[in-house]
Amino acid sequence: MGGIYIKNKWLPYLLILPTIILICVFKIYPIFDSIIQGFSSSDSGFTLDNYKLLFADKTFWNSLKVTLKFNLIIIPVQIIVAFIMAMFVNVKVRGIEIFRTVFYLPFCISLTISTVIWQMMLNVNNGVVNSMLGVLGIKPIGFLIDKKWALLSIVLISSWRGCAYWMMFILAGLKGVDSAVYEAAKIDGSGFFNTLFRVTIPMLKNTLLFVLVANTTANFLLFAPMQIATDGGPQGSTNVLMYEAYKSAFKYSNRPRQACLVTILLVIVMTVCVVQNKLMTEKEA
Amino acid sequence: MTLRQKASVKKAAIYVVLIFMTVASIFPILFCLSASLRTQDDLFRNMFPFSIKSLIPVAPTIQNYIIIFTDYAFWRPIMNTLIVTIATIIFGCLLNSMAGFAFTCFDFKGKKVLYSLVLISFMVPFEAIAIPLYSVANSLHMVDTYAGMIIPAIADGLVTFLFIQFFKDIPPSLVEAARVDGAKWPVIFAKVIMPISIPVFVTAGLMIFMNQWNSYMWPLLVARSKEIRTIQIAISQFSGERSIQWTYIYASSMISAIIPICLFLPFQKYFVEGITAGSVKG
Repeated sequence: MGGIYIKNKWLPYLLILPTIILICVFKIYPIFDSIIQGFSSSDSGFTLDNYKLLFADKTFWNSLKVTLKFNLIIIPVQIIVAFIMAMFVNVKVRGIEIFRTVFYLPFCISLTISTVIWQMMLNVNNGVVNSMLGVLGIKPIGFLIDKKWALLSIVLISSWRGCAYWMMFILAGLKGVDSAVYEAAKIDGSGFFNTLFRVTIPMLKNTLLFVLVANTTANFLLFAPMQIATDGGPQGSTNVLMYEAYKSAFKYSNRPRQACLVTILLVIVMTVCVVQNKLMTEKEA
Repeated sequence: MTLRQKASVKKAAIYVVLIFMTVASIFPILFCLSASLRTQDDLFRNMFPFSIKSLIPVAPTIQNYIIIFTDYAFWRPIMNTLIVTIATIIFGCLLNSMAGFAFTCFDFKGKKVLYSLVLISFMVPFEAIAIPLYSVANSLHMVDTYAGMIIPAIADGLVTFLFIQFFKDIPPSLVEAARVDGAKWPVIFAKVIMPISIPVFVTAGLMIFMNQWNSYMWPLLVARSKEIRTIQIAISQFSGERSIQWTYIYASSMISAIIPICLFLPFQKYFVEGITAGSVKG
């Protein structure tokens, strides 16, 4: 139907208008509002004071460090695990559809619910995970209350659901690869890892780039597990920038500070994504 | 080792890994189900040291499910979530499909600009705009109303994009034939396009459902009062209360998880299509 392009003066605008208005009011306007707020003084003139205040704040620097650390761990973990899962459910063995469906299930559980469930399972006193570790002779670990473990526990909680989600994209990409390509590689005597790095991954480049960028964006802006399970603690060890932004707006009622934090986050995310894009496309050349 | 033996060893290894992944995927769900069917006393008493009783109810009971509905009025957040979700699905499917129809079928001034607005809107992460969005909702008097949860979620660039992708493949002759017969555009849309587009409506509906049912941050900001809060908020607040029993939380989590799971199982194909639509073709 794409080729028709009928001319009609007012009908197309009428059809699009509601959606466009909603998008402008609820999606486009808030971005600009957020950026402008960060540069506005109380009498709404231009100022850099909000950023100066923020940069003088130790909490901010700790939060930035936590955010970078968190993402350096969670992004590779999620993508590698999701990739391995997708490779396995793409194998043709009996009953594979059932495995695939089961692997998707964590995605059906919202991040809120998975955080709440894992929070109880990881509890020191009554959690089932510590109970099972006890069989191996490991003393109960304060997964969410010990500074050493809290961030890793959040990685676990988010990845349990996240990997199922990202697997869907990678699997969709894997299915798009013509099986004749694998046959050809096999006939040429290419081993498993050779095929993986020389054939599969290059052919999935677009999918992987999408997953990488989307995953980076999602994880830099993640805050629900921290808000529910750790409240940014213990000792600020899970206090990511997004949660700090949330607290600035709703706990300290400091809108300019929140606006600065979100703007900085967006700049970081955009920079990381541009770099990823460059690295991935350069490999091709 | 013969080739045949090699193949069966490989197969066995694949199954071992698949089973390990299965356990990792469903253990929390099954444990949640099991814990929701026992009393807190039973759960805690059998937890240490670990035994099979730590995992399986000694005396299964549905008491938790009864209590969360009677003492904690859990039906309220369920109703709220249903209202919000269903309203968003209806308006979302209608408006986004109309826009998608206009983008695929018509030629008009400013089309490119408007189309890029749609694309931008689904690249902007919601979390980044949620807090300024709160001021917008506030000035429109939408805080603590159903409208505040529904209206901002209706226009969704990804859903519009989904419709555009589908409408593109409808043969022009179908529409032409109806036009020759003198049918008006609303009639063509309702009688010709909609019936053959049922799959994309299912996909779009499911995506909107998943987004709204599981949405946390926005309801947390915009719908704070008890009368209007949704399931996700209710459960996260449960977990913050010191006095509440864990088994109630497990039971309420189970209820909120079972509905998406029941929708996902029969419609898996549509889900996956909708979710991956923006990545492969975009």
